[in-house]
Amino acid sequence: MLQKPRNRGRSSGQAERDRDWSHGGNPGASRAGEDARVLRDGFAEEAPSTSRGPGVAGPSPQGARRAQAKQLELKVSELVQFLLIKDQKKIPIKRADILKHVIGDYKDIFPDLFKRAAERLQYVFGYKLVELEPKSNTYILINTLEPVEEDAEMRGDQGTPTTGLLMIVLGLIFMKGNTIKETEVWDFLRRLGVYPTKKHLIFGDPKKLITEDFVRQRYLEYRRIPHTDPVDYEFQWGPRTNLETSKMKVLKFVAKVHNQDPKDWPAQYCEALADEENRARPQPSGPAPSS
Amino acid sequence: MQGSTRRMGVMTDVHRRFLQLLMTHGVLEEWDVKRLQRHCYKVHDRNATVDKLEDFINNINSVLESLYIEIKRGVTEDDGRPIYALVNLATTSISKMATDFAENELDLFRKALELIIDSETGFASSTNILNLVDQLKGKKMRKKEAEQVLQKYVQNKWLIEKEGEFTLHGRAILEMEQYIRETYPDAVKICNICHSLLIQGQSCETCGIRMHLPCVAKYFQSNAEPRCPHCNDYWPHEIPKVFDPEKERESGVLKSNKKSLRSRQH
Repeated sequence: MLQKPRNRGRSSGQAERDRDWSHGGNPGASRAGEDARVLRDGFAEEAPSTSRGPGVAGPSPQGARRAQAKQLELKVSELVQFLLIKDQKKIPIKRADILKHVIGDYKDIFPDLFKRAAERLQYVFGYKLVELEPKSNTYILINTLEPVEEDAEMRGDQGTPTTGLLMIVLGLIFMKGNTIKETEVWDFLRRLGVYPTKKHLIFGDPKKLITEDFVRQRYLEYRRIPHTDPVDYEFQWGPRTNLETSKMKVLKFVAKVHNQDPKDWPAQYCEALADEENRARPQPSGPAPSS
Repeated sequence: MQGSTRRMGVMTDVHRRFLQLLMTHGVLEEWDVKRLQRHCYKVHDRNATVDKLEDFINNINSVLESLYIEIKRGVTEDDGRPIYALVNLATTSISKMATDFAENELDLFRKALELIIDSETGFASSTNILNLVDQLKGKKMRKKEAEQVLQKYVQNKWLIEKEGEFTLHGRAILEMEQYIRETYPDAVKICNICHSLLIQGQSCETCGIRMHLPCVAKYFQSNAEPRCPHCNDYWPHEIPKVFDPEKERESGVLKSNKKSLRSRQH
């Protein structure tokens, strides 16, 4: 009969393995704050010392230092993978979730872990870790590599909707002066054969996509217009849109669809230009959290 | 940095795009990996000579080392196709799976995994798996629901289904071999040739040693009288053919035009 894990002579009990199984394994976090303190000390000092304070005996300073370095690397690795996996679902990642699921007892060195993870994400994967809005304590990954049309063929998943329904809606919003009523959106989409109440071959449930999924992913803002009867809502660009694309890019998309030049819409073109200038100015905040 | 003798490679945008796109697939066949590599070169560095895939991947892996992940190459157990997946080296659990599935769903997988490892053929019947539904941790799951969860595992390439029976997908073996060998050391089967984890394979009827089908194919290639490498008894099973990527591609091209990786079923 199959030897069940609980009979194993391994040091970790069934309970811990269960935790590992469902919470993605946390080799460091299950230990006490003792490790965190040792790790923190390792950060602060450059030169190895023979006396590291009470209660830390055993391995040589060399060995202890290497073990600390490895613990640190493991934590950064976990954090990087956590951020990658969460971002794949396009849901902004809350700092509280990061602290709860990954950092655990290493809370004290969170800013440093965070900074290292951001560096790895940029260097290894080409993703920039940014805060969705200042002081929001939620983060997303921005692709620093320009998406290319042929990428879509090479993907194993849907990818970011750079063309398609979202782009159309973003274009609509911008061309209409950065805000548009929901009724106007559907008036337009109906002409393309997309209805709020009918299942669509490609988009599935367009109403859910636009009013729920895109909103949750922070591409769109969806607000009720007060004192409207029947109730109407309005759409605006969400914070993620401003980070992932730009007014100029969206204007170019709209122009391409109409087979025209962006300058054919002078008001929007001016606005897009001003936005470009704004972006070119150096931004003050980096990805590191404030505390 | 670890005490590694391997010189750390350098990441360029070619490698980054490759890694980004590779990550969108849970697992990818070698032919598609090569296509992906060529695409990334085309985007960023048209004039450069495309690195040999092995070197290309080794370069990326030397950078991934500090993150305790690597692009691992394996071979499908049924027909010896080379496959690649990005796997976790540090934890011995399935963190990737844990984010997509609920506690009871993960426990269902674990039950299926144990039945598969314990079986003689490497397959667990749907019936036997579903009968364990009452023992699952977490929210209570009905058999009907469990059937759908099993299908979800098939779609996400953790399990393969054949005629109502389930075995591990090559991806699961790549990702979880270490975990499985550590967790079930007495129950796992090992291939006599390559010494890796064996789920499906052939076994000697005399002495009981086992071999993967692709390992059998390679070991007995052009051998008129195949004999067990351990006890020298006559090997009674049909010897499969060695996987030939050229032949595979020929028949593929004749069948259809260039297909995108998205439409391909592995």
